[in-house]
Amino acid sequence: MSLRLERLSLNAGASATGRALIRALDLEVRPGERWVLLGPNGAGKSTLLAALAGLLTPNAGRVLLKERALAGWAPAALARERAWCPQFWLDPFPVAAWETVACALLAIDPRLDAASAEHDARAWLAEFDMAAMADHDVRRLSGGERQRVALASACAQGAPLLLLDEPTSHLDWSHQALLQARLHRWSNDGGSVIAAVHDLNLAWSLATHALLLDGRGGAQHGPRASVLQAAPLSAAYGVPVSQREEDGTRWFRIDLEHPA
Amino acid sequence: MTLRPPPLALALALAALGVPAALALSLLSGSAGWGVPSSEIFWLIRVPRVLAAFGTGAALALAGALIQLVTRNPLADPHVLGVTSGASLGAVLMLVVAGGVPFAAETGAVAGALGAMTLVFALAWRGMGRGLAPAAQPGTVIVLLVGVMVASAGGAGVSFLLAIADDLQLRNIVFWLLGDLNGAASWWPVWLALGAALLLAWPRAQELDWIARGDAWAWTLGVPVARRRRVAILAACLATGAAVATAGSIGFVGLVAPHIVRLTGLRHARLLLPFSALFGGVFLVLADTAARTLIAPAQLPVGVISAAVGVPLFLTLLLRRRP
Repeated sequence: MSLRLERLSLNAGASATGRALIRALDLEVRPGERWVLLGPNGAGKSTLLAALAGLLTPNAGRVLLKERALAGWAPAALARERAWCPQFWLDPFPVAAWETVACALLAIDPRLDAASAEHDARAWLAEFDMAAMADHDVRRLSGGERQRVALASACAQGAPLLLLDEPTSHLDWSHQALLQARLHRWSNDGGSVIAAVHDLNLAWSLATHALLLDGRGGAQHGPRASVLQAAPLSAAYGVPVSQREEDGTRWFRIDLEHPA
Repeated sequence: MTLRPPPLALALALAALGVPAALALSLLSGSAGWGVPSSEIFWLIRVPRVLAAFGTGAALALAGALIQLVTRNPLADPHVLGVTSGASLGAVLMLVVAGGVPFAAETGAVAGALGAMTLVFALAWRGMGRGLAPAAQPGTVIVLLVGVMVASAGGAGVSFLLAIADDLQLRNIVFWLLGDLNGAASWWPVWLALGAALLLAWPRAQELDWIARGDAWAWTLGVPVARRRRVAILAACLATGAAVATAGSIGFVGLVAPHIVRLTGLRHARLLLPFSALFGGVFLVLADTAARTLIAPAQLPVGVISAAVGVPLFLTLLLRRRP
């Protein structure tokens, strides 16, 4: 399973008149790789993830999954290959946390009986430390708890490619660590992950590869050590980023005292 | 707050007792008081009227549940979104243009309902086709605002046509704006539409639940969202149109019934749709019984009763909602 971007161009909102976010991007994501998607607010991280999920039609170029263009996939077949976890949730009606996860299980295997769907859903919630809240109404959960339900449901879908839009935005430190460990295991099992993140230190420990968008159409990508560097990060974010290396781990901070 | 599993056995028992009880109460009470009427009155007046009331209430409640799911909006219903006024306008228009044609009112009402619904979606949502909202925040407020505008326009259109047409066949303005079972001509078209709507929507009810939780998310789970939404809307418009052709534009049943059913714990669409229909049917049968007995021998339009019960119920629900 690999995902390939061919001369992909995306405008804001995928509209013809929108601001150009990505221009002619070529990229390949292979099994076992964990990609972080970086860039300033509004640089197009969510738009790119939506396009990779097949929700948006790119302005130019194409996305190939298993060497077949996304446009040629049926939604049901696509659901077995990739899971998409959005950044925001709107829960208009009451539903228990485990039922949300069970949706993903039943969508992939409609013949799954109710008892095993519930059992598996609770097991996935337990993986994300949500076992005790499996029966809670999702509308009453905190932001981080809701996010863990969404992540559990994305993993439960069983698709090898995970597209995660800011999966750590509401998570505390312990659950960020839990998610990282889970994603490492995911890629060791042959899955791949593309996750938009804002925390550069988290990005370093999470990723094998990185894609850095500058929001003006430009992008840098490659193994994490080549992209997660002070110079390109400073240029993309417009603030002086300094880096320090310690036992093979790179640390980043914003250096306000020494403007670039 | 934990959510308990749906109390299906209890709900079935309540329905098995409540539906016959409501029907019996309604069949046995008339303008002359309580008791078994002559068989002529019973079979020619009472039974058709109760059947019309039940079918209309059930159709409106089913339409309300469907519209709430596909617009992902707990405050939506056929009345609020202007679908019933669209149906009224369509029915009156057809009666003016082609009054003698069989099923003129029914056809016009269904067409009007579809027209109003399409208008609301076209104005409020960017395209119904592949109109997925990856941002997970479709215009919940804008759908309601556009719906209210469409409802006002439809109501104005009905009033205008009635003012210039001045035809007895068109029934009165109260019927079209408030709803009245006194004018119900035949009871079975609404039952036919109700059955068709359930057949269209129920087999895929589970996927409607997923769409209600996020249309883009549901699509990534493999649900053909646009097609499911169109079918659900078609079912809702069919039910609403037939209900309006039978009893005029009755509000609040469509809004309140699904909420009450949800409050009992029957929150999955597979159960929500049939039980909303049952509750809506019982609600309107009881409302109509009150409407024709409270100030007997005069009759109130049933819309007065459904609004008198529905408005406080709706406001209570609205104010209970914590942000």
